[in-house]
Amino acid sequence: MLHPAYDLSFYEFDDEKDPQSYGVLLCDVVHGKPAMKPLYIGIGWYWYYSGFRYGSETLFLPTTRGWDSRFIQGYPYITAIRTTEEERREREPYFRQKIKPFLQDFDAVWDGYKKELIELYTEAKESRGLKDWGDIKRLTNIELLSFFLDFTYTINRKEGEIHMIMMMASYYINGLFQLMWKDLFGRDAPIDPDFGKLMSGFENQDVKVMRELWRLSRKAVSMGLEEAFSGSDREEILRLLNENERGKEWLEEYHAFLTRHGWRCERMHAYDTPAWIERPSLALNRVKMLMKDEEFTFDTERGRIILEREQTEKSVLEKVPAEVKDSFEVLMKAAQRSGYWSEDHTYFCDFYVGALGRWIVTEFGRRFAQAGCIDSAEDIHFLHPDEIRKAAIPMGKVDLRPYVQRRKEAWEANSKIEPVPFYGDISQAQDVLKSDPTLSVSTQVPIVREELKADLYGAAAAPGVYEGRARVIMSADQLPEVEPGEILVAPGTSAAWTAAFSVIKGLVTDGGGALSHPVIMAREYGIPCVAGCVEGSQKIRTGMTIRIDGDLGVVYIKA
Amino acid sequence: MKWVVWIEKLGQEHKELVGKKCAHLGEMAQMGLRVPSGFALSVNAYKDFMRLSGAGEEIEKHLAGIDLRPENLGAFKDVSRVLRGIVESKKIPDELEDSILSHYRELNERLGMRDVAVSVRSAGAVSHPGQYETCLNVKGETDLLEKVKKVWSSTFNLVSLTSRSRHGLPLESDPIGVAVLKMVRAKAAGVLFTVDPNSGNASRMIIEANWGLGESVVSGNARPDLLVLDKATLKPVEKTLGTKESYIGFDALGTKEVETPENMRRQFCISDEEAAELGRLGKVLEEHFNVPQDCEWAIDQDLVFPMSILLLQTRAEVVAKQKDPVDKVLDMMLSRMGT
Repeated sequence: MLHPAYDLSFYEFDDEKDPQSYGVLLCDVVHGKPAMKPLYIGIGWYWYYSGFRYGSETLFLPTTRGWDSRFIQGYPYITAIRTTEEERREREPYFRQKIKPFLQDFDAVWDGYKKELIELYTEAKESRGLKDWGDIKRLTNIELLSFFLDFTYTINRKEGEIHMIMMMASYYINGLFQLMWKDLFGRDAPIDPDFGKLMSGFENQDVKVMRELWRLSRKAVSMGLEEAFSGSDREEILRLLNENERGKEWLEEYHAFLTRHGWRCERMHAYDTPAWIERPSLALNRVKMLMKDEEFTFDTERGRIILEREQTEKSVLEKVPAEVKDSFEVLMKAAQRSGYWSEDHTYFCDFYVGALGRWIVTEFGRRFAQAGCIDSAEDIHFLHPDEIRKAAIPMGKVDLRPYVQRRKEAWEANSKIEPVPFYGDISQAQDVLKSDPTLSVSTQVPIVREELKADLYGAAAAPGVYEGRARVIMSADQLPEVEPGEILVAPGTSAAWTAAFSVIKGLVTDGGGALSHPVIMAREYGIPCVAGCVEGSQKIRTGMTIRIDGDLGVVYIKA
Repeated sequence: MKWVVWIEKLGQEHKELVGKKCAHLGEMAQMGLRVPSGFALSVNAYKDFMRLSGAGEEIEKHLAGIDLRPENLGAFKDVSRVLRGIVESKKIPDELEDSILSHYRELNERLGMRDVAVSVRSAGAVSHPGQYETCLNVKGETDLLEKVKKVWSSTFNLVSLTSRSRHGLPLESDPIGVAVLKMVRAKAAGVLFTVDPNSGNASRMIIEANWGLGESVVSGNARPDLLVLDKATLKPVEKTLGTKESYIGFDALGTKEVETPENMRRQFCISDEEAAELGRLGKVLEEHFNVPQDCEWAIDQDLVFPMSILLLQTRAEVVAKQKDPVDKVLDMMLSRMGT
């Protein structure tokens, strides 16, 4: 039987044929929750899955032709399109050639792609005379449609392809380095503090943006604007700033920052969360948070972290047998750069494209609602790209409500359910995961060591031990609640959480593999971190005293 | 469409036409270097033989019914035997045969000999080192035609078939050129590297030499004499006497392995003067081709120095270097894939 997927036939799950063809399909919990809306699937994920196949075939990955995906009740299920033994042999020599540049100079490959992406975004805006968020209102319907089509079919496609090629190379390299690490030192890389130290001290774009925000926060302090920031309501802060001359002056500078760096949404490609440039109040709580710091923690910690990394590199290399030393060094360098890439790309890939999409579809939503095609602007998220195309020019002549209505009902029902973790034969999951290191490196399960008698076991994501008050935060909106010196406990973090890293002294997360955001950022800021604890945010309550051991990857709940 | 071309008419631009070995020999001849007289059978000669004799069609038919996969070595053995049988059983079409024989006759005339002994060597457009057959001391028209077919049929030997299969190339043919060269009556022979292949040291040249024909050195069966020359002065800076247990000498037809007499083992088979001349030729070649060269040479016992020193082949030298660490990582990545 075919399971409906918001009329997206591409993603319908065939409950007989699919498990038979693939063995097992696994729920992509990381990206899939909450249940996805049709527009998110139809544009963003459409190109990500396509990019995955493109990347696999372009790099000639020996064991997989990419991901295949189905949506079941609004949740994505992925599986690897595996190759045969024979295909694997054929693909290997080509894979060798294709992956080589990444090992030789990872940054050079990324810099090229990064430049391509920035040019793509800039051209898309400048050619239409757009700069600010409000400018899009000036476009005629045909101009807006052309922008939408460019976005949907050109920009997204390019971004999806670059994203996936880079991600594969990055994960293959990092995964291999972790295997080599285990072979040489007998310890799992994620719970080895030396491994964490080796991966630290690289400045990514996220840090650069945060430094800009910190500068703005210092400026606000020096301008005597602390009073305006004292409340917790972001819109209220904005209103207060607008009331006096110095506040306006500061806002002007803040606005310049947003035009440069504000093209980011909280949920990539979903287009249903506002971008910073769209709602300037959004980043104000970060500014407020950073006002607590007289110095930018990353910069004060950085010297120490880099020194520590260099010392660790030296001592680790001394332990590496002579015959593999040269290859270890090559792999280590590439793995370090791939770790840095993982954070850097979020800005240039996920966030930027997400914000551009948000910009366009929000405007279409507004026009459609005004013209009576849909009931409210937000209903745009229940449409497919072609339906937007259908109604864009005969504006007001196409009734889009029937599409919205049934899909909205389905989505609302889907949002209430807990997705089934897998379909098919779970015993085949290991094989599927192994065939695609990109899948396996991105997931991390707790390594339980009974002898430590800890309350939570995770991965030693960033070294150090700290005892303090826990602050459980479930979404980035709550971040201003965090007090200096607390240990942040969260389901996971994204770049939107980065501001917290200057304030906290420890981090516990439920999810997160070796290349996930919290793990990388904690290392950069020199904060002990235990990641992948699964139930940290459930077991720990705000106010509890906890001791986190980032060297061993465990958490003790004291009181 | 030319089937047979005199070596001296060839240049390195003819690699596709007659194979690399023949083209390089022609290039050397045109440079005024001493190479054995002879002629080349073009790649087209192979193709037309396969087509006109019907061998090609028969081979395709035979292959059509068989499922060959690289791992199935047993099946390849049988196929190889059958395919070689097909090629060797066919008669060379008259016109092609006439063309080969008329050149052989003219070679006899040029040298003032009858049934001159020749070597029949394969020459691919790309190198297939050690893959195809070489027939030495071939004498007379019948023997020549038979050995030409044998070299052609060696494109269906086991190594070649499995190698083509591994690389996803068609199995039904691999058109090659063939060199037919006057056999050098070699007193000694061997190889010359214009750069030390082990260290990459470009100020030194390496000569390996043994008595008799060069095959014993190339195959690495007997430990040859080793001379290291200073490239600037062409003087030996290092000489190591080889054990030279055996060498390859002539038989009535073909060649045979001969146990080296004790007194010959104890002396170098090449003089310093001969080595210096070889070094000089090597430098000329290196300069001409602009990359380090790996040459095969022989010293003719009937000729006087320096006319006695002949070059049999030259190619770009593969200078051994430390395996690139990036390649080591790639090896590791591939071996760990999916584990």
